[in-house]
Order: sequence, then C-alpha cells, then structure tokens
Amino acid sequence: MTAESFVFIVLGALALVGAIATVFARDMIRMAAGLGAFFLACAAFFVYWGAGLLGVVQLFVYVGGVLVLMVFAIMLASRASDGTPRLESRHDLAAATAAAGLFVMVFAGLRGVVPDSVDHAIESSPDLVAETLLGPMLVQFEIAGVLLLAALVAVVILVGREDR
Amino acid sequence: MSLLVLTMGLFCLGLYGVLTRRDLVAVLASVEVMLGSATLFLIGSAATRGPVGPEAGAVEATGVLLVVLAAAKAAVGIALVVSAQRRIGTARADDLTELRG
Repeated sequence: MTAESFVFIVLGALALVGAIATVFARDMIRMAAGLGAFFLACAAFFVYWGAGLLGVVQLFVYVGGVLVLMVFAIMLASRASDGTPRLESRHDLAAATAAAGLFVMVFAGLRGVVPDSVDHAIESSPDLVAETLLGPMLVQFEIAGVLLLAALVAVVILVGREDR
Repeated sequence: MSLLVLTMGLFCLGLYGVLTRRDLVAVLASVEVMLGSATLFLIGSAATRGPVGPEAGAVEATGVLLVVLAAAKAAVGIALVVSAQRRIGTARADDLTELRG
C-alpha cells in the first residue's frame, strides 16, 4: 500500500465515520461531534491535496464557527436527545432508495470522467489565491461580500426582535 | 474512482439524513455534510490533474468562496430554526404543519 492511498483511506474513514454519526446519531451532541470529525477530515484532505489556505479557512470557519453555532442551536432549539425512535419514520425506505438511486446515477455518469487516483497536488499558495480573488475573480469576491452582508441583516431581522 | 465513491457516498449519506431527520438542526447538519462532500469532490478532482499557477489559484479561490457561501447559509438556517422555535414553539419538522393542505 502506498503512502498516498494510506492517507486517503485514513482520512476517508474519518470523514465517513463523522458523516454516519451526523446522519444516524440519536443524541444531538454526538451528532455535533460527528460533524466536527467530518469537518476536520475535510480540512485535512484540503491540506493534503495542497490547498493549505483552504484547509485553514475550513478549520476556522467550520470547526470554529459553524460547529459552535450548531451547538448553540442545539441548546436553544432542540432537546438534548432526539426522543422518538428514528425508525418510526414512514419515509426511511423511500429516502434510502432516493439516496442509493442518486449514488448509482452519478456514479454511472461520472465513472469514466474522474481519474482513478489522486496522485498530484494543487500547486497553490496564499498569495496566488489572493491574486486570483482580487484579480480575475474580483466580481465573485465582491458578490460574496454582499451575500455575507445580506445574511447578516437577515439573521438580525429573524432573531433580533422579541416582539415580532 | 475511489474519490468519486467516497464523496458520492458522503453526499448520499447527507441526502438520506436530510430526508429522514426530524429535528431541523439535524437536517441542517446533514446539509452541511452534502456541501462539504461537494467541496471535497471539487478540490479532489482538481488535484488529480495537478494544476499549477493561476489555475491552481482559481481552484483554491473557488473553494474559499464555497466555504463563505456555506457559512452564510448555515447562519441564516440556524437563525430560521431558532426563530421557528421562538414563534411556533418547536424545531421539529413533523410539528411544523401550518402549510398542510
């Protein structure tokens, strides 16, 4: 086994375990922990593939921001554990069929397009990303800023006032 | 191939969670899994071609913009859940039946 496939298997297993915990855990705090493991595995993948800045951004924004926000939402809006048995849902079988069907469809469609193994890396650096964001992708960068402002205003309007 | 299997598996796992979870915070977490796997596939499939120079910068910048979008989406989604809890008194999808026909 080469070092590349070993790293891929270890990180992939961590991401898979995290995602399974996120989707199946009854206890909400365990769900948040699984989500954290998934985010950490994603960040490690990004660093491993050469996108170091993206890995750091992923760590800061997701693990430091979104995950903490999720835990706060669990405290504010959900009970600590999901009381009803999950298997009670009438839609379990249909949902599993839909997910498996999508997997088969996309896998059949993209099988020949994606190369077998990830044996290269992205030769990127933070200054290259900055040059791209403030050069050819300036419009997208500004739109992202406007979107963040709109999201901020929306959040303040949604939860800001008690009397509405 | 293994990259496609892994990211598509994660994506479909997230889809299953979105469709079956009752708690809105758990639905949001499953959506995060779907988004994360899509970003993973973008960066991974770019890495298989080994881009250099401006092309590599564009790949990573796209990933950073995706993270920004996901963060804004998560903030608005969680605000909606908290406001549903405050106004209607529940954050479970089964209990939000005001639009039932």
